[in-house]
Amino acid sequence: METAKIGEAPLAGRKRTSSQTRDHLRAVLFLLPAWVLLLVFFFGPILLTFYFAFTNMSLTGEASQQLEFVGMANFSAIFSDPNFMTSIVNTLVFLVFSALIGQQALGLILALLMNNRSRTFRRMIGALVLTGWVTPEIVVAFIFFAFFSDSGTLNTLLGTVGMEPVKWLYEYPMTSVVIANIWHGTAFSMLVYQAALGGVPKEVEEAAMIDGASAWQRLWRITLPMIKGSVVTNMVLISLQTLGLFTLIFALTGGGPGVQTETLPVFMYHQAFVSFQLGYGTAISLILLLIGMIVSMVYIRLLKVKI
Amino acid sequence: MSIWKKSLAVVLSGVLAFSLSACSSQDAAGGDASSGKVIKVAYRKFGSGNKGLENWLKSSAAEFEKAHPGVKVKLVPIQASEADFFAKMALTMKSPATAPEVVTEDTFMISSDAAAGYLEPLDRYVSGWDEWNQFFEPVQRGMKAEDGKIYGVPYSTDTRGLYYNTNIFKKAGLPVPWQPKTWEDVLAAARAIKQKVPGVTPFWANVGKATGEATTMQTFEMLLYGTKDRLYENGKWVVKSPGFLDSLKFIDQIFKSGLGPELSQVLTGQAGDIVANQMMPQEKVGIVLNGNWVPAAWKETGPAPWKEGTKVYQFAPMPTQHGEAPGHTSMSGGWALSIGAKSKEKDLGMEFIKIATNKEHQKQYSLTQGDLTPRKDVAEDPEYMNAPGTVFKQATSFLEFTHYRPGNSQYPSVSTQIQAAVEAVAIGTLTPEKAMDQFAQNVKRMVGADKTVEK
Amino acid sequence: MNKIRFKTQMTGKALPYLVLSLIGVAFVVPLLWMVFASLDANANLALKLPEQITLNNFKEIVTSPDNQRAFLNGILLSLGQSVLVVIVAGLAAYPLSRYQLRYKSPFMYLILFATCLPITAVMVPVYQLFVYLNLQDSFIGTMVFLTSASLPYAIWMMKNFMDSVPLELEEAAWVDGCSIWKAFRVIVAPLMLPGIFTVGIFTFAGSWGNFFVPFILIQSPEKLPASVSIYQFFGSYGLVEYGKLAAFSFLYTMPAVLLYMLGQRYMSEGFNFHGAAKG
Repeated sequence: METAKIGEAPLAGRKRTSSQTRDHLRAVLFLLPAWVLLLVFFFGPILLTFYFAFTNMSLTGEASQQLEFVGMANFSAIFSDPNFMTSIVNTLVFLVFSALIGQQALGLILALLMNNRSRTFRRMIGALVLTGWVTPEIVVAFIFFAFFSDSGTLNTLLGTVGMEPVKWLYEYPMTSVVIANIWHGTAFSMLVYQAALGGVPKEVEEAAMIDGASAWQRLWRITLPMIKGSVVTNMVLISLQTLGLFTLIFALTGGGPGVQTETLPVFMYHQAFVSFQLGYGTAISLILLLIGMIVSMVYIRLLKVKI
Repeated sequence: MSIWKKSLAVVLSGVLAFSLSACSSQDAAGGDASSGKVIKVAYRKFGSGNKGLENWLKSSAAEFEKAHPGVKVKLVPIQASEADFFAKMALTMKSPATAPEVVTEDTFMISSDAAAGYLEPLDRYVSGWDEWNQFFEPVQRGMKAEDGKIYGVPYSTDTRGLYYNTNIFKKAGLPVPWQPKTWEDVLAAARAIKQKVPGVTPFWANVGKATGEATTMQTFEMLLYGTKDRLYENGKWVVKSPGFLDSLKFIDQIFKSGLGPELSQVLTGQAGDIVANQMMPQEKVGIVLNGNWVPAAWKETGPAPWKEGTKVYQFAPMPTQHGEAPGHTSMSGGWALSIGAKSKEKDLGMEFIKIATNKEHQKQYSLTQGDLTPRKDVAEDPEYMNAPGTVFKQATSFLEFTHYRPGNSQYPSVSTQIQAAVEAVAIGTLTPEKAMDQFAQNVKRMVGADKTVEK
Repeated sequence: MNKIRFKTQMTGKALPYLVLSLIGVAFVVPLLWMVFASLDANANLALKLPEQITLNNFKEIVTSPDNQRAFLNGILLSLGQSVLVVIVAGLAAYPLSRYQLRYKSPFMYLILFATCLPITAVMVPVYQLFVYLNLQDSFIGTMVFLTSASLPYAIWMMKNFMDSVPLELEEAAWVDGCSIWKAFRVIVAPLMLPGIFTVGIFTFAGSWGNFFVPFILIQSPEKLPASVSIYQFFGSYGLVEYGKLAAFSFLYTMPAVLLYMLGQRYMSEGFNFHGAAKG
């Protein structure tokens, strides 16, 4: 790729052998801090996950002193645990509705509508959407706790059009966390698509317009294919952010009522830290990691990322 | 060649970050020694319920510091809901860097935390301590882990029962004083309240996972131990039993027939505060299944001062399911001060415990926190027994028929599964049968199927 | 005929403005409670204009030493993390962008792969690792872990930014006698500002509201950042102190807003993923 071409340039004017080794050493030095950190604090925990997931490690009781290897016991238990299936379904529902549909579609709509609008207006709306994004996750949880509460903002608004108050967090808990996450995350997709649309040459669209293509056709046939790379990248990034999301759900519903909003990270937390079964919780973490790995590989294959 | 030096410096600064971080954790532990000794006292601070606890620890610390010049007591409040607290405590006790000298231990955690090696056996301390005999024997027994060693000095015990609002009862045409003989009596009273006193929650009990052990003990076990069945018998967990099912069915009935509280009021970590500080003082709830400490909230210095509190809400014993002998049931637990096994200043920790659990401080604690005293001399003190605005007298009488939780290191994990079952039934996502099935399945996984039994 | 056309054109023009305005309003509405309640002496969960406007909620939050410390901890933690991430990722990106290295391609794949792993959701092994390394309850340890967790995407983004910085300028500097390191600092780093800001702000925003990581890794109350200590308002005196909670939330949101405003002009570049993936 381009980088390869660039990379050759400094080598060109010099003596190959010595400068190459020097470059090599330099590169090692530049990369060393990143390597050390990644090995210890990134891949270290991942390796430990593979180990602990097969043990009976516990936060209290005998098993917290004597770690025993239990083979596949955690996994056979997980797959017969009805709450595990529930949390997988919850995770998927949450992922699809809050990220893939909610944030992605709203972000794209915002970016499309804002394209070609007056600068001030664009900035103003952009700023409003962005407040959701810059609001810290824990604060988002509190804000929406108030928003959805019995006498909260949403019920007040519904009341003005004569609707009865609804106990959102108890009757529609998943809808509530999905809405909260859309509010929090949409700006990211919006920014990605704004940047992507900015890169679409005006001439192409104008040419299509002269050819008589409708706005809808232009979007499907021209704009979207041109920003395909950004769409997929954005999809993967927000999927992964959503997959690992913990604070928002933990503080807003705690996974409840019952297990109705318990996604994998919250399920992991409950098993590992509330029920004290660290080994079991780690096995859930491992599944979470494996899902991430699969998404990641699909992404790399799908996009044929060149490095 | 300056690039070498400079990039080396950058790398070194990265490495430095590591060594620094390693240092800092040692500093936290070792730095104390140079500037005089420090003992850490960890406790839970969440909601209004622990105000009395904090004041008691503070005044004990003041006395301790006076008696031990140069030693500082550092209070370590842990802010977490009941469900998160024990994990946080375990994480704190696990590492020598953070292990506190003194911790407040819920007695149901003693076996488990002792087996985990978090707690220091206190036998060598209490053997030569004349005041040890001042503690009631059943409470003393609760301090022992499965290895037979003592791991705590008790500072509170408790019983549970039914608070009922006399005004609401009169309006509903129910007898005052109220003496329910069976669960059906309780349900009937709740139904009468629902019918005749609108705007009032007929029956309140902890049913959320967020309220943790309170849900297990104040609600589920208060029911279960009023049936013929138990949770743990002859070294095995009873994961299915008619009594277990009936207990869940009782909860189901309460919520299905609209006799229970709003879920938004009861599924949060503050459920206990909401009922004691708001619903009861506003007389918005007919019957409350809870512990003897509730009226402490209504003291003048409490979060919801209310002089007539214990006149309006009276305390009745919980009946057994069908009125089986002895007619009533209760559950008792309590809290103890323990010593972190990985802490530095264990001897000083014990000195602190001795001061905090002496007669004077114990009395102060019981009177402000509303917990029953584990000390005989305090119990005999008229100032304690006749303390206005408490239910000490009735609550103490429940000790005759009370039950204790299984003193087993697996109990804490099993308990969390009970909470999940109770919440699922209360919100109606699982039938009592399904919830018991799930409970049985999860407990078998956790403790091994060979350690469980179905009845 | 002309009239109708004019009309549809008008609605065609007005409609996007209308839709955008509605979406904008929808994004503001949830914030109203926080603003009103923070100024209300008797705030509860309901949305209402304060009867008595008061700054007491803010005053109490700002003057409490515990809160000051929690805020400071939070800022140190997130800012320290962001700075570390920018430095370490910037250094790593340089050879990846400039040199031809045999292991570059597998390394970049590994980085890309790692970007996708929800490492902050895998807290049990992280905690255990901290126990092994004796880093438990260490503020800097937590910062270094958060740094490592952000490195993969930061390296990826940094490399892409660096690829877009033309090499000619650097070469000119070398000809002028600059060392590679000096050229890196004087030429590359300033041109990289958009990238640095984007990565820095990303990192900061990602960790500023993170409750889970410090909740598990830090035990001493005096070391906890504000994201954890905010839980105190769920307790005191049984009633959640909503006014203070709102004021705390408001103040807690401000650093992220300020940082974003500062870096805004650099940011739009950061969201261009065309360089990252060719579809």
